[in-house]
Amino acid sequence: MKIAYSHLVQHIEESPCIEQISESLFQLGHEHEIDDGIFDMEFTPNRGDCLSVNGLLRDLAVFYTVNLNQEIHNEKINDLLIDFENLSNDICPKISFLKLEIDKVPESYKGSLGNYFSDLSLNKNNFFTDISNYLSYETGQPTHCYDAKKINGKLVFQEIERAVDLETLLDKKITLIQKNAVFLLNNEVINLAGVVGGKSTSCSSDTKTAIVECAFFQPEAIIGKSIKYDIQSEASHKFERGVDPDCHDLVLRRFIKLVSEHANIKDMSITSYKYNDGPDYKMPVNIKKINQILGINISDSEYIGYLSKLGFDIKAGFIKVPSFRSDIKTQNDLSEEVARVIGYDNIARADISIPKNEKSNNKDIENKLRYFLLDNGFYEVINSPFVSSSSESSIKVDNPLDSNREYLRTNIINSLLDNLVFNERRQKDSIKLFEISDIYTSKNDEINKIRSLSIVASGRVGHNYEDFSKKISKKYLTKIFHEALPTENFDFQELTRDSLVTKIKNEIIGCEVDINNFTAEVLKYKEVTKSPNNFTQYLPISDLPYSKRDLSFSIKNQSQCKPLEQYILSFKDKLLKETFIFDYYSNEKKQEIKIGFRFIFQSQDSTITDNEVDDVMNIIISSALEYDSISIPGLS
Amino acid sequence: MSSSKDILLPELIKDRGSLHPINHMKDSIMNLLVSFGFEVINGPEIETEEFNFDMLNIKKSHPARQMHDTFYVENKLNLLRTHTSPVQIRGMLEKTPPLAFISGGKVYRKDDDATHLPMFHQVEGIYVDENVNFAQLKDLIYKIIYSLFGEDVELRFRPSYFPFTEPSAEVDILSKEGKWLEILGCGLVNPIVLDNCNIDSDKYSGLAFGLGVERIAMLKHGVTDIREFYKSNLDFLSQFK
Repeated sequence: MKIAYSHLVQHIEESPCIEQISESLFQLGHEHEIDDGIFDMEFTPNRGDCLSVNGLLRDLAVFYTVNLNQEIHNEKINDLLIDFENLSNDICPKISFLKLEIDKVPESYKGSLGNYFSDLSLNKNNFFTDISNYLSYETGQPTHCYDAKKINGKLVFQEIERAVDLETLLDKKITLIQKNAVFLLNNEVINLAGVVGGKSTSCSSDTKTAIVECAFFQPEAIIGKSIKYDIQSEASHKFERGVDPDCHDLVLRRFIKLVSEHANIKDMSITSYKYNDGPDYKMPVNIKKINQILGINISDSEYIGYLSKLGFDIKAGFIKVPSFRSDIKTQNDLSEEVARVIGYDNIARADISIPKNEKSNNKDIENKLRYFLLDNGFYEVINSPFVSSSSESSIKVDNPLDSNREYLRTNIINSLLDNLVFNERRQKDSIKLFEISDIYTSKNDEINKIRSLSIVASGRVGHNYEDFSKKISKKYLTKIFHEALPTENFDFQELTRDSLVTKIKNEIIGCEVDINNFTAEVLKYKEVTKSPNNFTQYLPISDLPYSKRDLSFSIKNQSQCKPLEQYILSFKDKLLKETFIFDYYSNEKKQEIKIGFRFIFQSQDSTITDNEVDDVMNIIISSALEYDSISIPGLS
Repeated sequence: MSSSKDILLPELIKDRGSLHPINHMKDSIMNLLVSFGFEVINGPEIETEEFNFDMLNIKKSHPARQMHDTFYVENKLNLLRTHTSPVQIRGMLEKTPPLAFISGGKVYRKDDDATHLPMFHQVEGIYVDENVNFAQLKDLIYKIIYSLFGEDVELRFRPSYFPFTEPSAEVDILSKEGKWLEILGCGLVNPIVLDNCNIDSDKYSGLAFGLGVERIAMLKHGVTDIREFYKSNLDFLSQFK
C-alpha cells in the first residue's frame, strides 16, 4: 500500500523528517520502501488496522504527538428508509447505508481529497467513488457507492451457492461459483461483497444521488475471492485482514463532510443495522507476565503508558482492546506491543542453556551410505517429486502447478535417468548419481512411505589412468559395492534406454533400495571423503560445448615423469576446465614411459574455437618439451 | 616397501563425489543445533490439515490454506506439508517438557519462479521449558547466526507475524553490499499452540525458529539463482566437494 509522507506528517506535531518516520515504522514492524516521498508499505497479515493513513498514525502515536484534525459532519442526520434484508448476518453483522443527493458534480477536488489524487498520481473515477476510495485510504474502511437511481427494488445481502454471472464496474465479466457473499437487487446479483461492485448499479460521472454502503464482513467470507476471480481489489485486501467493525458512523460522517466541501448537499439520510456486538476483549493488567514473556523489567506505568498511546483503554486493572485491533487476544499479543515500542533490537540478550541431549541421530546408516557413495565418485542429487505420469499407486495432486506435475513420483530412479540424459547432453562421459528421498504411494486409501536410496551410473568408471578405459557395468558395480559392504544387497540392474531421448549407447546400471533394508554392518565402513569444512564460493557454470585434446608423452629419462606430471596437472588457464591422466604405460624393455593427458576446454562466454584451444595447447607443449628426454610421438 | 616402479607411477586421483549443497547445508545447520542440545525428530511430508494448520493456530481463513498456496492431495484429505512445524507438533504430543527438538527436510508451497520453488528445505527448532523468554530467544538466534556467518556479522530483529508464535520476529543480516537480508523467522511459541499440544501454557513457555536452507546456502555459496540447485548438473554439483 502506498502512503504519502506528507499525508502522515501533516498530523504529527513534531514534524519528523521522512527518515525518522521510516525508522519508527521499521521498529514497529512495518516494512516499506521509500520512493519520491511515498512509503510503499508491506504490512503483516495480522495488521489490517494499519492499511490507512489513520491506521499508521495510530501506531506512530506511540512515538509522536498525533492530531488527526479530520473534520466530520456533526449534525443530526435523518433516518434512511431502505428496503434491505440481511439473510447472512453471521457474515455481515454490521452494515450502514447513507443516501446523499448533491446539486452539482464538482469539476475539481481540493484539500486532502485533491492531494490524495495528485500526490499519489491516481486516476479519478467519479465523484462518489473518488471520495469512497479516498476514505478507504484515510480511514481503512472500504465503502461502496451505488447510483441511487439504479437501486429500485429490494436490496438483499446473502451468501449464495450457485453459478451466476456478474459484470463488474471494471467491465470484467465473471461467473461466480461455489459460495459467495453478494448483494442482490430484485434477485439479481449486483455486487460481490467486499470485493467488487457490479456495473449495473455503479455510479457514473453524472451521478448526483448515491447510496453509500459501509459494512463489516467476516474475513473468512471474503478471503481468496479476489484471486479466484482475478480481480485487483483494495477493498478485499482490507476486508480479508479485518476492518474496524465500530467505525461506520465516523466514516460516513466524514464522507458527508468531504462531499460538503465540494458540493451542496440537497438531502441526506442514514441507517445502520447491527446484528451482534462482536467480541469485546478485556484482559487484566499483568506486568509480571509481560516482563516474564519478554525477559525485561519495565514498570506498570511504562507499560500502561505504551498501551494507552496505542489506543488501548486501561481502567480498573483491565485493558480494553480497541475495536480496530482484532489481532490482540492474549498476554503474548500485548507483550509484542511492548516489544515493538521498546524495539526488538533494544531488548538485551539473556544467556540460554538448553540441556544436552544424548540421543544419536537415527540417520547414521543413511549418512554412512552417502559417504560410501561419495568415495566411489557418486554425486548426490535432489529432484522434484512432481511427475506427469502415474501408476496404480500414485498419489494425485489436487491442484498441481501444471499437467506435467500432476502426481507424486513412485520411484526415484526415473528422476535419475532424466538427470543422466541431462548430463550426457553436456558431454559428460562418466556419470554416477544417487538420491535418497521419501517416496509416497497410496493403496486402499492408505498412504505408504518408503525411504529409498536410488543409484544410477553410466559411462567411464573414472577420470584416471586406471579407470578411464573401463566402462561402468553391472558386474563392476556389484563387485565394488560387495567388496566394501559385503552384507548388503544392492541388486544392480541394467536399465533400458528405450524411453530416453539420446543417441548414447553406454550401459546404464541402477538400483533402488529401501534404506530400512540396510543393516548396522554399514556403520563399519570407513569413509575416505570428509564433509567440506568450508562453503565453496560457486563459479557460474557454462552451457557452451566442450572441446577436448589428448596429448601422449614419451619419456626416456624416468626422473622427468613427476616434474612433467606436476607441471601439466597444475597448469591453469581460464579456458582449461579439467586435466587428467587417462593413460600410463611403462615399457621396461625400452626403458620408456608413455603418459597420456586429456585436456577439456570450455568457455564461459562463447563457443570455444580451435585456435583458442591451440594457443593454450602450444604453451603446454612448448613448456613440456623443455624437460629432458620428453617427446610427443607424431608431433612434427 | 614400494618398488622403483611404484614411485614412477603418477598419482592415482580417484574421482570423489559430493553431497548435494542443500543437504550439506541442512546437515551443517542441524549438527550445529544438536551441539546446542536439540534432539532431531522426523515426520512425514504428507500431512493432515490438522497438524499442518489447525494445531499451529493457522485459522481456516488464513491465505496459506488456500488452494493457490498449498498443494492438496487425495481430494483434499491430505496436503504436502508447507513447513516442518507439524513435526514439532507431533513431538510435543509425544513428550513432556522440558523438550528441545529440531526437524529438517523438504516442504512444499505452490510457487514457481526465479526466486521460489514448489519444493524447498527448512530446518525448524522448538524449545519448551519453564520461563523461556524472548531475551533468551535472541541469545539463541545470535549464537546460531554467529556460528553460520561469523561474529562480525551485523543482525537485526524485526517484528513480524506467524500464527504459531507471539511475539514473532524476522531476523536480517547485513550483507557486504550494505543490504539487509532476511535469514530466519522466530518467536515465542503461541500459548494456543502449547495448549493444543496438551502443554500447560501457564507453566511452560517456548521458543521456536525456522530457517530456509536454500536461502542460507545461496548466501554461503554465492549462488544467485535458486533453480541451479535442482538441475542436477554435474558441473554445478562438482564445485561443492
